[in-house]
Amino acid sequence: MSVIISTLMYLGFILIFPGFLFCFFCGMLLCGIERKIVARMQKRVGPPILQPWYDFFKLCGKETIIPTAANKKVFLFAPVIGLAALVVIQLFIPVFGFTAFSGNADIIVILYLLLVPALAEIFGASASGSPYAGIGLSREMVTIISCELPLVLVLLAVGKAVGNAVGTGVCFSLQTIAEYQIEKGSLIKQFSMIPAAAAFLLVIPGEIGSHPFDTAEAETEICEGMLAEYSGPPLAINKLSHAVKMFTMTSLFCALFLGGLGVGIMTVDALIVLGLSIIITVCVVALINAATARLKIEQLFKYYWTFVSGLAALSLILAWFGL
Amino acid sequence: MFNKTIIESAARSPWIFHINGGSCNGCDIEIVSVLTPRYDAERVGFKLVGSPKHADIAVVTGPITKQSLPRVLRTLEQIPEPRCIVTCGSCPQSGNVFRGSYSIAGPLSKYVHVDVDIAGCAPKPEAIIDGLLLAAKILAEKKRTGSSEVQIQNPFAPAREKEKGENE
Amino acid sequence: MDFPFAKQAIAQLFSKPSCDMYPFVPSDAAPGYRGRIKYDPEKCLGCGMCARVCSGNAITILKEPVEEGEKITLTFNMGSCTFCKMCADFCSSKSITFSDDYHMIATKEEDLIETGSHIKIKKAPVKPVTDEKK
Repeated sequence: MSVIISTLMYLGFILIFPGFLFCFFCGMLLCGIERKIVARMQKRVGPPILQPWYDFFKLCGKETIIPTAANKKVFLFAPVIGLAALVVIQLFIPVFGFTAFSGNADIIVILYLLLVPALAEIFGASASGSPYAGIGLSREMVTIISCELPLVLVLLAVGKAVGNAVGTGVCFSLQTIAEYQIEKGSLIKQFSMIPAAAAFLLVIPGEIGSHPFDTAEAETEICEGMLAEYSGPPLAINKLSHAVKMFTMTSLFCALFLGGLGVGIMTVDALIVLGLSIIITVCVVALINAATARLKIEQLFKYYWTFVSGLAALSLILAWFGL
Repeated sequence: MFNKTIIESAARSPWIFHINGGSCNGCDIEIVSVLTPRYDAERVGFKLVGSPKHADIAVVTGPITKQSLPRVLRTLEQIPEPRCIVTCGSCPQSGNVFRGSYSIAGPLSKYVHVDVDIAGCAPKPEAIIDGLLLAAKILAEKKRTGSSEVQIQNPFAPAREKEKGENE
Repeated sequence: MDFPFAKQAIAQLFSKPSCDMYPFVPSDAAPGYRGRIKYDPEKCLGCGMCARVCSGNAITILKEPVEEGEKITLTFNMGSCTFCKMCADFCSSKSITFSDDYHMIATKEEDLIETGSHIKIKKAPVKPVTDEKK
């Protein structure tokens, strides 16, 4: 009996609360708000908040064209795998006190899983056999490498800061980080964590492929890059995983730096995370999107490996000396 | 359950792909101006996409030169169903001032079924918005009926024509 | 790394959008806009000057003989028109005018066609005179 209940509980985790439905809802909401805010920053009225929903459902009703040069299975299943990986990440990220799955080293799991959507997109693009997708995927690989170094440094800095306090060396458990923050207050209040938080905020637009860092999907120069050959439902899933990634990254920021703000009731906590995600999206993604033009791929690489990585490394050094 | 939502959202999120068939660039600029802060077609869901596979509406400009004809037709074929083809400006409908030139293969309606014509040289951005909204309505109708050619009441048809038709 | 437009973006976020809400709020064409052609066959003389100056071959003139004289039908195809207003400028009787209606959207070809016909009465008296002389 208890087996059935726990199975149902985990199914609920995967499909409903921190899993698929919650991600779907929050991602679409963030995407809609981001588009609206960007439009308002450009002095436009902008699309309705429900626009990503309309786009999603419209794409679901369209015909799917599979190129003759494409490897059909990889082409069609890559977006699904990417979305599934994002949903799995969401299960590991604690909503203040509550985590659906937790382990000793879930930060490393998240680090690997964050690669999967990008890799799935790369596989799908390379399976489509389009030259535009080829250019797009080579750029996406550079983007991944650029974002990965600052991201690892930030996670190491956070791990070290918490580990110093808990006494385990470097702490790689998000659950421990969340518990530490509930006890001692948010990590962002610590002086050494401020550069890391800034670096993480700058990694978010690169990771989700938002405007100045969307070289991989430059719609005006390389025909949407990796998505060039997608149409219909697979494209809808791709757009959905972009939206969900926005929520994943922002909620990861909440879990790492803004923990301890929860009240203990799960629904309220989820709403607080959503609210914080919206604020981060508006402040970081939308503002940078509206205020900048697309970077070249070398500029992107240089920016991430010098400025952002520098911030993260500074934070790591500070955390190492226990400041 | 979802079918109704899909049909409704087809009219609310038409993505535009712009094809230049030897245009003088006048209509192209007007199409881009539709998405600028002044007219902001994004508030009714329009979005200019970079790949024909993402598009719902193809906006064709220019008199379809012989060089561009095979490319235009190939691009139009790549747009997934249901799709809507809109000609922007007088050129793709008739050839306009280029009519009779040795290098012109148009009009476009000789080769594919054109859903909406937007006349003008170049059309006003408001007229383009009107035409695209009509195309979006046609798109939803196509999704509903499942056919590739639908007839829809054109609110911009001249009133005098209708009276004459009734008299005859 | 600096964001030159960040300040502007934030300022614009709290200001009024500069959109014409066009489909919901009607918008008038600028004065002197050359929109849909209006043709008044009553005033027309049938000189054919408009068709001669038309660069887009948008005007076709059909002449049919009828009892009283000649039935002249002018057809304006706005799908082929450049809206240069040359026809209206050259028309000596001002029978062609350009309205400010810019909603020239067509789903059928007839939506863009303006047509009108009038009957031109032939002057009869010249012929009998020449007959008498012979």
